[in-house]
Amino acid sequence: MMALVAMRVAGFVRGGRALAPLIAVLVELGVIYGGGPSPAAVAYGYSAAALFPVLAWLTKLLLDTEPDVQRRLARLSVGPAREAVAGVLAATLLSLVVCVAAMAAPWLFHGIDTSTDLGTGIALGVLAHLLAVPPAVAVGALASRAVTGSVRMGLTVLVVAAVLVVVLGLSGSFAPWLVPPVMATARELNDPGVPPAGTLALLTAWAAAWCAVAFLGYGWLRRGRS
Amino acid sequence: MRFDGVWFRYARRADWTLREVDATAAPGATVVVLGRNGAGKSTLLQLAAGVLRPGRGVISDRPPTIGWVPERFPAGQPFTAGEYLRRMARIRGVTDPHAVDRWTERLLLTEHTGTRLADLSKGTAQKVGLAQALLLPPGLLVLDEPWEGLDAVARTLIPEIVAEVTAAGGTVLVSDHRGEITALPGAIHWTVSEHGVHASPPPAPDLPTSEPSVSELPESDPPDEVIVEVAVRRSEATQAVAELRAAGHRVLRIEDADVRRTPSPTETTPDREARPTQRESR
Repeated sequence: MMALVAMRVAGFVRGGRALAPLIAVLVELGVIYGGGPSPAAVAYGYSAAALFPVLAWLTKLLLDTEPDVQRRLARLSVGPAREAVAGVLAATLLSLVVCVAAMAAPWLFHGIDTSTDLGTGIALGVLAHLLAVPPAVAVGALASRAVTGSVRMGLTVLVVAAVLVVVLGLSGSFAPWLVPPVMATARELNDPGVPPAGTLALLTAWAAAWCAVAFLGYGWLRRGRS
Repeated sequence: MRFDGVWFRYARRADWTLREVDATAAPGATVVVLGRNGAGKSTLLQLAAGVLRPGRGVISDRPPTIGWVPERFPAGQPFTAGEYLRRMARIRGVTDPHAVDRWTERLLLTEHTGTRLADLSKGTAQKVGLAQALLLPPGLLVLDEPWEGLDAVARTLIPEIVAEVTAAGGTVLVSDHRGEITALPGAIHWTVSEHGVHASPPPAPDLPTSEPSVSELPESDPPDEVIVEVAVRRSEATQAVAELRAAGHRVLRIEDADVRRTPSPTETTPDREARPTQRESR
């Protein structure tokens, strides 16, 4: 299965489709850090939330790069479950690389305020990104051509999900649990002081539960579609 | 492998592409799938390979190792032919380190291993598709229009490969709309239509099994045929037979047991003669 993950990552990176989301990441980093240094936790909280739609888009692009017939050949070679997992793993790996780059980039142009508690800020930032990556990959997978079958439907799923994550994630939302806690995490990190451990555990459990449902849905939808 | 009451459609509200398919392909059998354009040949083959799932009914007793040669090789990938095959070998868990080289050489792909898939000609890309399906010895080989785009030499390889897979107990399903099936003697025919799949046994031999001479040619033979006796080197005999068949000639007799790798009901193989001799009529 790892050979399939490697093939998909290589196919995506070499195919040149990675360029567009990469530019989007650079623009976002420019917007977030352009206004001068901010505390690590605050900056990384916003960075994770801003990366969410880009990582979902990246996942869809990666999964859609492989021609349908090649995906079917892969499915025959490793079985349907492993084929689906290999795509999710490839997208997760690339998303983590993007997150590491996005967290390292502000250090190059002094975007992080070093006068605050750096260790805690960075740890919270890592958590925020880790809570954003799996739901983003799940949204991208649900928007992929193998599930939606058409470009229009795929883009609709991607855009609607990205908008809902923001709209339903606003404070005072009537159904915040319908979307992953990307905005909620950013808000917690924006507040001064370290969020209590109970809050962080709740956010983690919320993200895990949301991802479990989303990935189960992906598996179920992929069952009949090769 | 068995199809039991298999129905298939591409979307929930679409018309059924295949209806009530009941068919069986035994190990060692070659099945040629026939039918007009759009009849569902490719769909049937993809169901057999397990690429598509039936809407109704079941397909059972499918061998574990399946080689599928799609109708169009997915050439839109940023890999060279050699790298693609090496990656597919790793994905398929091929343990034989020489498998890729062996099939690359045999399918005459050696000079193309460094060429990007997108730059390959249609026929060469088709050969890459064939190679990936054969990296593991398949228990079921599904060939969707394998002759498409292949040159004369490469076309002769297909009957050879089919014969090898069936000799090892594998089942081969092959679709054909160009009339190349003459190269696959002894194949069962499945004709796909809107009424399902009609299976028919191999066509009855149209020649006596004893050694025919020019004067004893059956009356059913077309009048414009002549018998040409050809002697070929033992090492090249199998290929020569396949090439002659691919060119539309009928091979009537092969006089050497060693070269009889693509058996046909029209062949006899007396062992007494040391020199391989073929009779060909056209």
